[in-house]
Amino acid sequence: MANQITRRKFLISSGLAGIALKAPMLFANTSGSTALSPTMRRIPGTDESIPAIGMGTWITFNVGGDEQLITQRTEVLKTFFELGGTVVDGSPMYGSAADVMGEALNALDGHDRIFAATKIWTGDESATRAEAARSSRRWGVDRFDLLQVHNLLGWQGHLETLKQMRANGEVRYIGITTSHGRRHREFAQIMEREPLDFVQLTYNVLDREVEDRLLPLAQERGIGVIVNRPFQGGSLFRRFQSEPLPDWAGEAGVGNWAEFFLKYIISHPAVTCAIPATSKVEHMKENMGAMYGTLPDASQRQRMAGYVRSL
Amino acid sequence: MSGADWLSYSLQDFVMFGPQVFLRLFVRINQDLWPWQLLAVVIAIFIPVLISRQNRAARRLAVGLMSLAWIVSGYGFLVGYFGPINWPAAWFGWAFVAQGALLAAAVFSGGVHDSRLAIGRLAVLWLLAVCVLPWLAMADSGQWEAVGLFGVAPGTTAAAGALALALVTRTWRWVYLPLLVLWSLFSAALLWVLQTWWLLVTPVATLLLVGAGFWLSPRTAQSPD
Repeated sequence: MANQITRRKFLISSGLAGIALKAPMLFANTSGSTALSPTMRRIPGTDESIPAIGMGTWITFNVGGDEQLITQRTEVLKTFFELGGTVVDGSPMYGSAADVMGEALNALDGHDRIFAATKIWTGDESATRAEAARSSRRWGVDRFDLLQVHNLLGWQGHLETLKQMRANGEVRYIGITTSHGRRHREFAQIMEREPLDFVQLTYNVLDREVEDRLLPLAQERGIGVIVNRPFQGGSLFRRFQSEPLPDWAGEAGVGNWAEFFLKYIISHPAVTCAIPATSKVEHMKENMGAMYGTLPDASQRQRMAGYVRSL
Repeated sequence: MSGADWLSYSLQDFVMFGPQVFLRLFVRINQDLWPWQLLAVVIAIFIPVLISRQNRAARRLAVGLMSLAWIVSGYGFLVGYFGPINWPAAWFGWAFVAQGALLAAAVFSGGVHDSRLAIGRLAVLWLLAVCVLPWLAMADSGQWEAVGLFGVAPGTTAAAGALALALVTRTWRWVYLPLLVLWSLFSAALLWVLQTWWLLVTPVATLLLVGAGFWLSPRTAQSPD
């Protein structure tokens, strides 16, 4: 008897085929898979959420006019987008990184997929708008989602202008940055009295000073926190990559060292987003794996910090 | 920023690119210049021949060719390739161009002396510089296209160019010196941060060749000025 394909059979088999295609995603390894929903974080005081893992461009995207490397970095950005990333952070300080980002965004037609964050980095406090406009041209974006005063350089003047720009709709969010644990006292004072949307600071499993003051203050004041140097400029890998992960890593949702370092950060309730930088697609996949699966709870976070200290 | 803030910075914080990107600069300029760098090789070999002729015109031509090497490597490598990822490199690039112009001025204003020199020693040092130093970028990158030739790569150009100290008169020598020292210190710091250990030999060699340039230069009594 010849097989007859009825409409009913077709729909059932199509549905099963669809499930079969989706199944590997649904049942993939939860520690590093992209099958589950990405960890999203609400920007305090808004209804908007952003992915908890973003991307930094310090060093990695400063490749000048090297077409081969621009193509490689474009692949890194493509992978970032494919795995659910949106937040990209840069600075005029990073050489050609802004131009390279602009080229990569053009190549990927990615301007609508990005939460574009950059910094104002000039001692001339009257040049805020000019520098933002210059960065907009280099990135190829109409406006930035977030503009931050880089390392508090000329912050008084820049912040006043940024507040006006936010009020005019020229930028959506504003903030300030620091790194390497610098000027935390002054940073806290600004957080206490200025209407900031975001702060950016250094935090990782070894550099934990911000847990004492800045992170609780950000929660209290309703300020989003972007974390730079999550791998301590790569030194965490150099120090610990040859060591085994703890036996209980799986319980904390950790499948590799990148996830260990990043999940430690984004599991802090004050943290909105961590921005690791990489020039390699494979590393980007590992980084983005931290945005999926379970996150360590408070006691597991303590164990993570203790484990690293013990190595 | 307070003094304590400045102290919290390391050299690494001022280097905004990685070793891969830096070493690719050598590959890229060689690919883009091909085959013109062969001319640079010929010039590099020809210069000690000119110096060995012990006559003023040949020596002036040798210094003129060195001048050209400073200008080409400064404008080509430093301004054109390195500057976009590292703004101090662009400044050094223009300083290289000025250094080349300085040597050219020495050529045309009697700044190249015709006193007797230890030609053999000068030639050996020159050939060591232009024949050995180019391979260091290759050793660090693992790519033969990264060869850093005299007249193309600023490190080799400055190192060999340091020997011009022996060919110019005393006043020109002191004006010519600062960039050699500044460039050596800058590139040594940079290469240290990038951990390109082979290439780190180049600034060290440059400083040694500066010493050699002074050592080989004629005594003050013999110098025309």
